[in-house]
Amino acid sequence: MAHSLTPECTPLKHEYDACFNAWFEGYLQPAVNAASLTDEQRVAYSRQKAEEYEQKCGKVWESYKNCVQKAVKDKGLEDMLAEATKDDPLLEPPVQNGSS
Amino acid sequence: MHYFSQAFNYSHPWSHVVIGMWHKYPNPHCTHVLTVDVLDRSVDPETGVVRTERILGCKQKAPSWITKLFGTEDAYVREVSFIDPRTQTMDVTSVNLSMSQVATCYERILYKPSPSNPRENTVFSQTAEIQARLHLWRTVSDRLEKWLAERFEQNALKGKLGFSDVLRSLWENNESQRMHLQ
Repeated sequence: MAHSLTPECTPLKHEYDACFNAWFEGYLQPAVNAASLTDEQRVAYSRQKAEEYEQKCGKVWESYKNCVQKAVKDKGLEDMLAEATKDDPLLEPPVQNGSS
Repeated sequence: MHYFSQAFNYSHPWSHVVIGMWHKYPNPHCTHVLTVDVLDRSVDPETGVVRTERILGCKQKAPSWITKLFGTEDAYVREVSFIDPRTQTMDVTSVNLSMSQVATCYERILYKPSPSNPRENTVFSQTAEIQARLHLWRTVSDRLEKWLAERFEQNALKGKLGFSDVLRSLWENNESQRMHLQ
């Protein structure tokens, strides 16, 4: 696994990444297969898995996030990030074929 | 403005490529990427879409006229990705944070099942726009844009080699086993 911005956050990052990867690897294929289900069944699956992610990884995510946020501040990256987010929050994927 | 685009197939199913994305770094082809951190992540309980915002820390060996001009080799990139299992699309947008007042590099990558072999292959399509800001002295901005574009193409190639290796080592046994079972 790659390093974090600061060495202090690397152990938390590894713990969080491992948690997310384990969850994601169990989530993805059934979610792909769920495309053939009814909307209702699909939403029920998504809800259940979103909750499961929160339960399993929510705690370590909070610790890791606090650590990284501090690192972002300490490295003076906060303003650049805020600027980029203001320019383009990317809360949804950009419109297809929108670039070029 | 420099444009760059390419598309090719990875010979792995879409879900394997998308899982592999989180294992891409570190890899020996892409030593310029030093750090990777998740800044934000959400799982949409309605749509099942996973949105991830990351910051990547890179170190580039730059020609001395560039480091003299901008004083640093550290560069940070903001990357926002969306994984939609329903449509089997992974959409990754990256923008440079460092030197953004001087030049912008906007990259977009889509991973989708290959139309010709959707169960086994994944199409990677990438576009990038590289633009030096105009208030720079013209010859400097031309040279800078050219250097950034060349560097982008080199890194794109390294990314392809590196990610291919990662996917191979991650899935080789698993996929050959599956092939035998079929």
